[in-house]
Amino acid sequence: TILCLLRSFEYSQKNAILVPAAALGVGGILVFWLRSRHKIKTIEMGDGWWGSGERPLKGKEDESIRPFKIETSDKEIEDLHRRLEQARYTPPLEGAAFHYGFNSNYLRKVVAYWRNQFDWRKQVEVLNKYPHFQTTIEGIDIHFIHVKPSYVPHGRAVQPLLMVHGWPGSFYEFYKIIPLLTEPARHGLNEGDVVFEVICPSIPGYGFSEAPHQKGFDSVATARIFHKLMNRLGFKQYYLQGGDWGSRITTNMAQMLPQSVKGLHLNVVFINKQGLGRIISVMLGAYLPWLVGLTREDARRIYPFMEKNVYYLLRESGYLHIQATKPDTAGCGLNDSPVGLAAYILEKFSTWTDKSFLDKDDGGLESKYSLDELLTNVMIYWVTSSIVSSVRYYKENFAKDPDLTAHTRVGVHVPTGIAAFPQELAHTPRVWAKQMFKNIVTYSYMPRGGHFAAFEEPKLLAQDIMQFVRKVEQL
Amino acid sequence: CLSLAGIMLLEVFLALGALIIYFLFSKKKEETLSFKEGWWGKGQKPDAEEDTTIRPFKVETTEEELSDLFRRLDQARFTEPLENSCFHYGTNSVYLRKVVSYWKNQFNWKKQVEVLNKYPQFKTKIQGIDIHFVHVKPPRLPEGHSAKPLLMVHGWPGSFYEFYKIIPLLTDPASHGLSDENIFEVICPSIPGYGFSEAPHKTDFNSVSAASVFYELMLRLGFNEFYAQGGDWGWLICTNLAQMAPNHMKGLHLNLASVTNMGFAHLLSILLGRYFPGLFGFQEEDVRRMFPFWNKGIYRILLESGYAHIQATKPDTVGCGLNDSPAGLAAYILEKFSTWTDLKFHNLEDGGLEKKFNLDDLLTNIMIYWVSGCVVSSMRFYKENLQNGIGNQKHDRLTVRVPTGIASFPNELLHTPRAWAQKKYTNIVSFHFMPRGGHFAALEEPELLAEDILQFVAKVEKEQLWKKK
Repeated sequence: TILCLLRSFEYSQKNAILVPAAALGVGGILVFWLRSRHKIKTIEMGDGWWGSGERPLKGKEDESIRPFKIETSDKEIEDLHRRLEQARYTPPLEGAAFHYGFNSNYLRKVVAYWRNQFDWRKQVEVLNKYPHFQTTIEGIDIHFIHVKPSYVPHGRAVQPLLMVHGWPGSFYEFYKIIPLLTEPARHGLNEGDVVFEVICPSIPGYGFSEAPHQKGFDSVATARIFHKLMNRLGFKQYYLQGGDWGSRITTNMAQMLPQSVKGLHLNVVFINKQGLGRIISVMLGAYLPWLVGLTREDARRIYPFMEKNVYYLLRESGYLHIQATKPDTAGCGLNDSPVGLAAYILEKFSTWTDKSFLDKDDGGLESKYSLDELLTNVMIYWVTSSIVSSVRYYKENFAKDPDLTAHTRVGVHVPTGIAAFPQELAHTPRVWAKQMFKNIVTYSYMPRGGHFAAFEEPKLLAQDIMQFVRKVEQL
Repeated sequence: CLSLAGIMLLEVFLALGALIIYFLFSKKKEETLSFKEGWWGKGQKPDAEEDTTIRPFKVETTEEELSDLFRRLDQARFTEPLENSCFHYGTNSVYLRKVVSYWKNQFNWKKQVEVLNKYPQFKTKIQGIDIHFVHVKPPRLPEGHSAKPLLMVHGWPGSFYEFYKIIPLLTDPASHGLSDENIFEVICPSIPGYGFSEAPHKTDFNSVSAASVFYELMLRLGFNEFYAQGGDWGWLICTNLAQMAPNHMKGLHLNLASVTNMGFAHLLSILLGRYFPGLFGFQEEDVRRMFPFWNKGIYRILLESGYAHIQATKPDTVGCGLNDSPAGLAAYILEKFSTWTDLKFHNLEDGGLEKKFNLDDLLTNIMIYWVSGCVVSSMRFYKENLQNGIGNQKHDRLTVRVPTGIASFPNELLHTPRAWAQKKYTNIVSFHFMPRGGHFAALEEPELLAEDILQFVAKVEKEQLWKKK
């Protein structure tokens, strides 16, 4: 027996050292194991250089933050008008609506408006109503708007919020939601004591941010640059919000420097395909959703599974396929033909806002947006000639990591809020999101709205962001 | 007397026998593809009889057309490529600038129009739309010879112009050092929606529709028996034609032979074919071209099929800008002439385009898309054929019994071994591994292709193989 062994244990000089050493060894391993379980994994920050040529060896980067104003000229407007006037259209097939892409009969109407009624000079003034800046990070100029509340109620803290756009959007998508976040009381929102100062950068290669000159600029590089930006602006801790690429970038930011991210709010969640477990859960979930953690609303949104998650996505992902493989080819004509650019971009604003818009001759665009705001977004791509660099982002991200799963193991540990809009391209139930997002604080089924949430349903999104931040602040 | 067991046994035998007979006969039952009726004109089909005249046609141009083109080329907006990206991100815009400069300053469209018009061209209305075609007869026929009609169908992003170098080799082989055992009169139509053929105004114009239209064309021209040759979409259209009218087609020659309905047997051969080629009917050259399969099959298809994915889903969107920007159209089309000729051209800053083609030919093909404004309708053909997936249409399941000759070019994107092809093309008369050349075989290697067509037809004619189907 053990007691016998202990009794026969002879005390000697050698044993006097062995026992404590063994105890230390075992204890050390135990402590190490316990601590490693709690240590959160992060994405390595790394570094980068995106300017032309070689990175300069000497000299520190210019860290000044320069005010910026968007400008236009007669020449720019005349060139645009000339191109709009000389546009060559192909008549749509009879009865095609939007099933073959953007219907050219409706496109003619949009272009007629663009040429004759749309006032770019006025829109530039609208764009300039918020303060813009540029600053050089990792060799390229980063553009952003920074909106502070004009009035801060007594004793309230102002939360910094970084909001990141996607493709084919821009910082302009946030123009309607910004006042709801910086001055909620004035807009009928009374969400307690949450007030924000909002920073909306342009992803490098989009709009007024300089495009990277080197290969390899992906969402991790973007995340690092945006962290550097917030740091340069003097923020140590901040909230993040994003959809489309913005969702991916802000997620990477939360994985890179969790200690700087107070909370992460997303209106679209990208999760990896899990494999056999997911397949079984999908199959079972069709009959017994509660068994696999799906709510009734989840089931309503994801079934019939093949149609909504496979066939639909295959039909809608042609752009993604060509942009992820031949961006310079895909973007070439679009940078040269504003009409082509408008068709390409506005098709998404139609289809990704409501799936039933495919059946409409006018793509349902004007039922949710005004032509002025749609064309202003298109103009940002046009006047900056950024369409090619914007679509290269797909290749840089997908080529390395085709199903965007590189950092799944790392997970996301910061408090996360998810707003699930019903007309989003694909629905991610909370139970699936939990596998990557370990700390979901709020998950809301939004009553209406699609992919461009901030643009289409600013009030709904603002309310969800606020209730999420309020919860986090109380934690 | 018969016991109960005996009766049951008899019934079982009868049932088995019936089953066997059923299977035997159902195998012998010849299924052909039905002719697809259609009317593709604008609005309602009129009651009046269709005009079936064949009208001569000439390509024309105007000063206005040229100055409009130059104006657009002048105002082209390019985006600098990423450093060291060559053709990996698509057409390199530094090289594109050179092409555009040549296009504006040296390319002579008026002269190229004369080149196009050197072969007689015609138009005729079929199923409500104007079909354009080139019809070249042999300049001279030796005593006792008759010209054999040969239908040659182009693909995307090609045109009837791709055949201009190979036509003389087929209509006048003797003058080009080739055997004149068989001499052809060549008919190269433009697929409806491409070049000078009118685009269909209704949905659902797919390869079977095109085959039906070309079938009517050949009958209208008075040909009761003919040969057909094709690559790219031409491969599928000619295959459908062979399935539709096997009694009219003496032989089918293809420079692309894809297999669209893959089954378990194919999967097995992909997994094990590299190690047991003989077991799956693979030759050494098949293995060399196909494996490693992940790289040469799957990865390559994914990398190169973005265009097909977007064209098969949103043709009107992707084509819109291309119909408005000639530089954009050139970038889009030239990328294929680079990559599909040799995948290694990705690594060249100029995409290796001028190694195998000259700019005049490349730009003439692009001009056909530009002056006819057909890029959008050309892309719709992808949606009409692929929108329900690949390989699940009726014609994918039918075989081809017409004598078939396959020229397998090494730089074609995907290699189809004979072992796979013969499951669909059950009467392969010749299958050759060509020594060089890619997707645009007729334009790039006209002599090689012509030689292969000639030897195939010689075989078919000598043994009168079309009678033995």
